[in-house]
Amino acid sequence: MSATTVPTTTTAPTLWVRRPAGAKWAGWLRTVDHKEIGVLYMGMALLFFVFGGLTALTIRVQLAVPENHLVDPAIYDQIFTIHGVTMIFLVAIPVLVGFMNYMVPLMIGARDVAFPRLNALSFWLSFLGGLLVYFSFIAGGGPDAGWFAYPPLSGHTYSTGQGLDYYILGLAVNGAGTIVGAVNIAVTILLMRCPGMSISRLPLFVWMTLVTSFLILAAYPALSAALVMLFVDRHLGAHFFDANAGGDPLIWQHAFWFFGHPEVYIVILPAFGMISEVIPVFSGKPIFGYRFVAASSVAIGFLSMSVWAHHMFAVGMSDAENLFFSGASMLIAVPTGVKVLNWTATMIGGRLRFTTSMLWATGFIATFVMGGLTGVSLAIVPIDWFVTDSYYVVAHMHYVLFGGVVFGVFAGLYYWFPKMTGRLLSERLGKWHFWLTFVGFHMTFLPQHWLGIEGMARRMWTYPASTGWGTLNMLSSIGAGVMTIGTLIFVWNLLVSLRSGQLAGDDPWDAFTLEWTTSSPPVPENYLTVPVATSRRPLWDRKHPDMKDPS
Amino acid sequence: MRPPAEAIGALALIVTAIAFVIFLGVEAALLYSAWRFRASRVPGLAPQITGNRTLEIVWTGIPLLILVVVFVLMTGTMREIGTSVAGGSTPAQMKVLAVGAQWWWEYRYPTSGGDVIVANELHIPVNTPVDVDLETADVVHSFWVPEISGKTDMIPGKTNHLRLYAAHTGTYSGQCAEFCGVEHAWMRITVVADAQGDFDRWLQAQARPRGDASAGAQGEKVFMSNLCVSCHAIRGTDAKGEAGPDLTHVGGRTTLGAGVLTNTPQNMRAWLADPQKYKPGSLMPRVPLSDADLDALVTYLEGLK
Repeated sequence: MSATTVPTTTTAPTLWVRRPAGAKWAGWLRTVDHKEIGVLYMGMALLFFVFGGLTALTIRVQLAVPENHLVDPAIYDQIFTIHGVTMIFLVAIPVLVGFMNYMVPLMIGARDVAFPRLNALSFWLSFLGGLLVYFSFIAGGGPDAGWFAYPPLSGHTYSTGQGLDYYILGLAVNGAGTIVGAVNIAVTILLMRCPGMSISRLPLFVWMTLVTSFLILAAYPALSAALVMLFVDRHLGAHFFDANAGGDPLIWQHAFWFFGHPEVYIVILPAFGMISEVIPVFSGKPIFGYRFVAASSVAIGFLSMSVWAHHMFAVGMSDAENLFFSGASMLIAVPTGVKVLNWTATMIGGRLRFTTSMLWATGFIATFVMGGLTGVSLAIVPIDWFVTDSYYVVAHMHYVLFGGVVFGVFAGLYYWFPKMTGRLLSERLGKWHFWLTFVGFHMTFLPQHWLGIEGMARRMWTYPASTGWGTLNMLSSIGAGVMTIGTLIFVWNLLVSLRSGQLAGDDPWDAFTLEWTTSSPPVPENYLTVPVATSRRPLWDRKHPDMKDPS
Repeated sequence: MRPPAEAIGALALIVTAIAFVIFLGVEAALLYSAWRFRASRVPGLAPQITGNRTLEIVWTGIPLLILVVVFVLMTGTMREIGTSVAGGSTPAQMKVLAVGAQWWWEYRYPTSGGDVIVANELHIPVNTPVDVDLETADVVHSFWVPEISGKTDMIPGKTNHLRLYAAHTGTYSGQCAEFCGVEHAWMRITVVADAQGDFDRWLQAQARPRGDASAGAQGEKVFMSNLCVSCHAIRGTDAKGEAGPDLTHVGGRTTLGAGVLTNTPQNMRAWLADPQKYKPGSLMPRVPLSDADLDALVTYLEGLK
């Protein structure tokens, strides 16, 4: 490789005046800076996380004891619907897009994203879409047909309120923002890399962000189209999903899951990317099998487009269809397994520093592997016939979305927070946060596997005492309480560390990648001089000139 | 032949065993490295290993092979339990139509004398493969009795099929598994597996119109002169409503409101006085009745065995 040295940027961030005094709040509305928009996305996720969390707690309180009449069933239906919609569309996607926005230009040595104004548009569309969904509660009642809103239940005959209309409009607007954002990020990665940053040197977070962006472009339009059809059905008397008039409610299920399953990978891939950054740094060695980790993401991307109907094994498809989707869904376990093994192999033989970030990353692997394995069981048609739509699925889904995405995001947050703010999050509070969440999580969701196998269906507002499900449900609810304490500690940590956390410096973790060569927080436009990627680990090269990364 | 749930259970056991080995392997590797390679035990830099192509091929290939084996086992199980389409390896000896409705079940037994209609309590003969046709009267429902079968959805405009097989006599509980609106939770399923003789006698009894109702004559008048009659049918009377469950033999059922209460005279009275108290959102409204009318109605309905 060329002997170009990376220019140093030791300039203090205070040299740059962000904007004229007095424009503080208006500035957040006008900003087109990728880092500020990234923070806006994360703020949006945090705001909605409060609602998503409170609804989750309400569900666990209601289900703690059998035949509980605390929450009225009509309210309960709105609560679990908004919980799902919030966590998927208004928390998981925004927090990940926030990290992509903030970190991708930094990691590839770019000044900003390719289309800064479009970037602002995509944030405001996403945020206003979220507000539109929530406006339903002011307008007379939230959506109440579950986050996947199967017709005819979501049609005008059985859902007479306006909740579903706000769901449709809100998600359509929110989705438009996400699609626009994906175009922007993909173009940025493909066209705005600094000198030396070839595709085969991209940090793995950027790799997985690229795959996610293409997946969004492939999957989200299916949701938008389905939402338009549902809207036209509800208000203009079309019959796309009306079996009495020659339509078919299964069209919705196909269109929704054609979006819905890739969506799972859209949110998990960036989390995989974060883990792939954190584990090598805190293991003190490069990722094991870079090319295989990157290529397996691409394989997951392609395969994830052909597995959607495993959500529909119980609808009565032909054997041929069931076998196809079963086989494809099983296949996706292979590249996913490759990732898990490569992360583990990165740790083996390393020099492990168990910072809070690394704890989250290790907790991620330990938990995600369980979610992955139950995922394979759900790909097996007869087992799926047994456990689909039961609490087993609820457990599986939270193992991948909470144990996967959320743990991954926390690993990324504890890792990059000092880069974004110039201050470290408290490690002491962070470890409390991790252990309480880790224990609380497993206490909440592990018992739900058994509840599902014993016959507890999803979305029941209560259950008969005679079923004997009370004990496991109570355990699950106590676990939710433990997680809540962990989350409160996290919020406290966030507030305290933002104000008075330990100063981080440019490179607090002895890291490898370009973003740690600029100041913390980075100067506007990121680098004072154009950085150069000398290998996959340019910062390692600078610190170890005698044993440069060969990549 | 064994119940489909047992065949699924056998397959799940194999899959769980394989998964458990993989799970233990990964967790052991994590714990081992967390202990062996923690910074305090590793002086200096870690060796800068970037990967191993052979290892990658091995751990791509082995899971692939395991999955191929699982896939083959799966097709065997699907063949055994008759797959999603009725008429598997063992032909069914009986057919029933199950119709899901918000939030109760109707079952129709085809007989030479026309369909025998019952509600909320499905009886099947033990040790007999039964094919259930699944339809819905409104939204998507899903029929699931975990101890004896997997689940299959009821989709508007479509008839699905599910094989039931009970190896022991007794009562099996199930649950609507697809969210179907406010009272999804209280759309419980009761399946009673009877010895063949008991089943035949039960079906014959169900086929008859309501018997001698002289003891409940007053209650029948209350029934016919109130809202009840517009939604419920009682064969042998003028009540021909189809929106709610057929009540011709309601007194003989084990539960009320699709599982929300056990069927006792006290519970029947409480249910009739205010269904919304026990099943909020149920389509059965609260019908204001005097105490005397309520008593008469309870006597009448409980007498319809």
